[in-house]
Amino acid sequence: MSKRSLGAKRAAGVSLALAGALILSACSSGGGGGDGEGNGEEESAAPEELATISFGTAEDSQGPAEPVEGAESGGTVTVLQQTSPDHLDPAQIYVSHESNIARLIHRGLTAVHLDNDGAYTVVGDLATDSGQVSDDGRTWTYTLKDDIYFNDGSPITSADLRHTFERQFAPFIAQGPTYVQQWLAGTEGVDYRDLLPDGPYEGDHLPDSILETPDEKTVVFHFDEPQNDLPYALAIAGYAVVSEEGDTRERYDQEPLTSGPYQIDEYRPGRSMTLTRNEHWDPATDPARNAYPDRFEISFGHSQEDSTARLMADNGDDQTAMTFNNGLDAGNGPTVMEDPQYRERLVDGFQPYVAQLAINLDRVTDPTVREAIVQAVPLNGVLNAYGGSIGGEYAGGLLSPLLPGYDADYDPFGKLANPRGDAERARELLEEADAVGYELNYVHNTVPEDTEAAVAIADALEAAGFEVNRSEVPPETYYDTIGVVDSGYDIYRSSWGHDWLSAATVIPPQFDGRQIQDGASNYSHLNDEHVNSEIDRIRRIPDAAEAAAEWAELAAHIQEELIPGVPTFYYRQTVMHGSRIGGAVFNDDIGSVDMNRIYVIP
Amino acid sequence: MLRFILRRTLGAIAILLVISAVTFFLFYAIPRNPALLACGKGVCTQEQLAVVEHNLGIDKPVPQQYIEYMSGLFIGRDFPAGSCPAPCLGFSFRDNRPVLDTILDRLPTTVSLTVGGALVFLVLGLAFGMLAAARRGTLLDKTMSSTSLVLSSMQIYFLGPLALAVLVHNTQLLPQPQYVPISEDPWGWFQGLLLPWLVLSTIFTANYTRLSRATLIEQLQEDHVRTAKAKGMAPRTVFFRYAWRGSLIPIVTIFGIDIGSLFGGAMITEYTFSLHGLGRLAVESVTQSNLPMLMGVMLFAALMIVLFNIVIDACYALIDPRVRLD
Repeated sequence: MSKRSLGAKRAAGVSLALAGALILSACSSGGGGGDGEGNGEEESAAPEELATISFGTAEDSQGPAEPVEGAESGGTVTVLQQTSPDHLDPAQIYVSHESNIARLIHRGLTAVHLDNDGAYTVVGDLATDSGQVSDDGRTWTYTLKDDIYFNDGSPITSADLRHTFERQFAPFIAQGPTYVQQWLAGTEGVDYRDLLPDGPYEGDHLPDSILETPDEKTVVFHFDEPQNDLPYALAIAGYAVVSEEGDTRERYDQEPLTSGPYQIDEYRPGRSMTLTRNEHWDPATDPARNAYPDRFEISFGHSQEDSTARLMADNGDDQTAMTFNNGLDAGNGPTVMEDPQYRERLVDGFQPYVAQLAINLDRVTDPTVREAIVQAVPLNGVLNAYGGSIGGEYAGGLLSPLLPGYDADYDPFGKLANPRGDAERARELLEEADAVGYELNYVHNTVPEDTEAAVAIADALEAAGFEVNRSEVPPETYYDTIGVVDSGYDIYRSSWGHDWLSAATVIPPQFDGRQIQDGASNYSHLNDEHVNSEIDRIRRIPDAAEAAAEWAELAAHIQEELIPGVPTFYYRQTVMHGSRIGGAVFNDDIGSVDMNRIYVIP
Repeated sequence: MLRFILRRTLGAIAILLVISAVTFFLFYAIPRNPALLACGKGVCTQEQLAVVEHNLGIDKPVPQQYIEYMSGLFIGRDFPAGSCPAPCLGFSFRDNRPVLDTILDRLPTTVSLTVGGALVFLVLGLAFGMLAAARRGTLLDKTMSSTSLVLSSMQIYFLGPLALAVLVHNTQLLPQPQYVPISEDPWGWFQGLLLPWLVLSTIFTANYTRLSRATLIEQLQEDHVRTAKAKGMAPRTVFFRYAWRGSLIPIVTIFGIDIGSLFGGAMITEYTFSLHGLGRLAVESVTQSNLPMLMGVMLFAALMIVLFNIVIDACYALIDPRVRLD
């Protein structure tokens, strides 16, 4: 189970841009709200701990979606976005701004549903339930609902689902998630493609022993190992259904058939996209999408300054405008956060990313020296560079506040208590290790936030007795640079975000020592037998809550005993909407506003 | 005149060939592999990378790639991800479509912004310049000169957001800037571009006022103007037929350069008003490492500048008969 570093890089890049602009927050984070108006009234600086997402039953998976109080159908929602999607083919979708649009047009076997009480459930989307498991988690069976169609009117059958998963192996599919392919192939590397090198296009197919479609309605996955997270994985946009008949290979990326409540009426890359209703979508089959607006007019190329200024002014059509991913800009942020007139129009929550300063364990081999680094790093210097307390929150541990198992009070090295860093303690540790003057090669990227944070980190390390050699590389090549095993660097920032609300998408990709190779995401090169065997053991635990507790314990062990880095902050995001947008709540599963509950106030 | 234009056109083609070659070798020589981006980091094996490089046509030697690129302009090219009919300016693997399609999608915005803005600043700039020169030394002249000095030292990234905040967001005197095709809604097109035109032309108007005032004053002191005056010609005739016509040469030169580069894209204006013209496309191509797109936009911008220079040369010939004799 490896998460691609490009995904992490691009995702983190998005959050950098977003988080850099954020300032003080006073809104509650996370969860839906009974009032359907999103951000709650109460002020809460402390993040909430989420209970584990539950797997829904057949009853939970029936449509239509539970209505949002006060919501009415109709109207056009204008969406102001910075970045236009590069991909519309579900199999190529991985980054958040693409996933948000994908959730309006594409459906998968499962979906994560946020209900009116703020609870999250994995429900059957195209399937009748979240999956029937057997063989200790090695076999998963899905039955398709009736009356599910693509927007060309063709019915969605198990053949389409088989095709959807088989084409994930084709060479031209290169940007999407790889979890399910790797599970099917029984490998953790890029060699998963060897299972079906040409995808389904040259007449080869996956054998029934791996993917079985005994009839038009049934899809059965067979894995070598228990894959208890499959229902979560199938809910991510990258595994949404692709029509076998309508598949145009590479060109599907521009003009895909859609299965969700909307279809693409017009798309001008980089400029605009118009979504109109998909008449073949039957709300009675969809438990997760309310689809109140008739139309979404999405325009791209809006800077954070532009979208914030327009939403603040709230004039004309902008009253029914919103943004999925443009956070508040640095200039207007403080005004918006302090002025109560905007309070009702803000949605705030954590993004999945945790920023860390990774330590290269191949080079910095003495744990005492590593602890000295941890003690010296000033969390406040780093977070200030990223916009202060609204850009994020000081991180105590490796698990995001969104994840089950997160503990707000967890602070093994006293970093939350002393975010300025403890130069004296760091120096003591260096002296103890007889390593005063220890040289650290530090690489960061040229993005202003990263550069500013690097200055704060380097100054603090030098004050503690280290000698720091700072170098910088452009953001496009940053993750390639630190992804080289023999990079020659000792410390570097690495941000990681989960793919679904499980630490199974956080700990293994970063700390499974068997995955160390150029381009892999184990940036600290941690390779510990106990950790590796624990990863294997916890993955087999079928109970999600029990697994979450075990992951948290393993994360603590890694952080306290092996010290592969310093968690610095959890990214958060605040987005604004116009005065006639209702139902805007932050969705922790996707780390942004929930587009499925939005409605236009007439 | 025909020979003159023919000569200039041949020269322009040669210039474009040189620009295309330099741009191509410059971009494709830089150590950034577009195949790696298309291949997907982390899921990309060496074999797959080779396949992607082959599909992109970048597994061949750079000179051969250049020849294929240039021949694509005339006969089109086919890629696994789609075909690129002639004139093929390249194929963008980021959105799997011909570069020219995207350029043509952005061009109407750039043309509207440039033509509208140029019309405003040329008319106002020349008019103000003339007024100031005709009333040289008066309060009007001094006011115009000092105002234009202040305005010409402004920047769009300052004036633009200021105008947006004051005229749009706070007072709603003007509508939110946007591009609506003129064919769909002429009034919406006009309204949507009004503020960008005003802001873009404010700085240019100031420059053209100063320039036309200075050249007119210079012309008014020329011998032939003095002779015409001495011969008893009406002051208005002297002003327009002799002095003003003569003062146009340097203005036309500057105008040609300005409008050529505006057609290549007014990046800051486009970003300020969230418009999607060629300038923004160029910047986006750089940040996304979209080499085929960048190459296409650069060539197109070069073509615009060269083209306008030919037009300007022809205008010289019309304004000043001496030019035709060269």
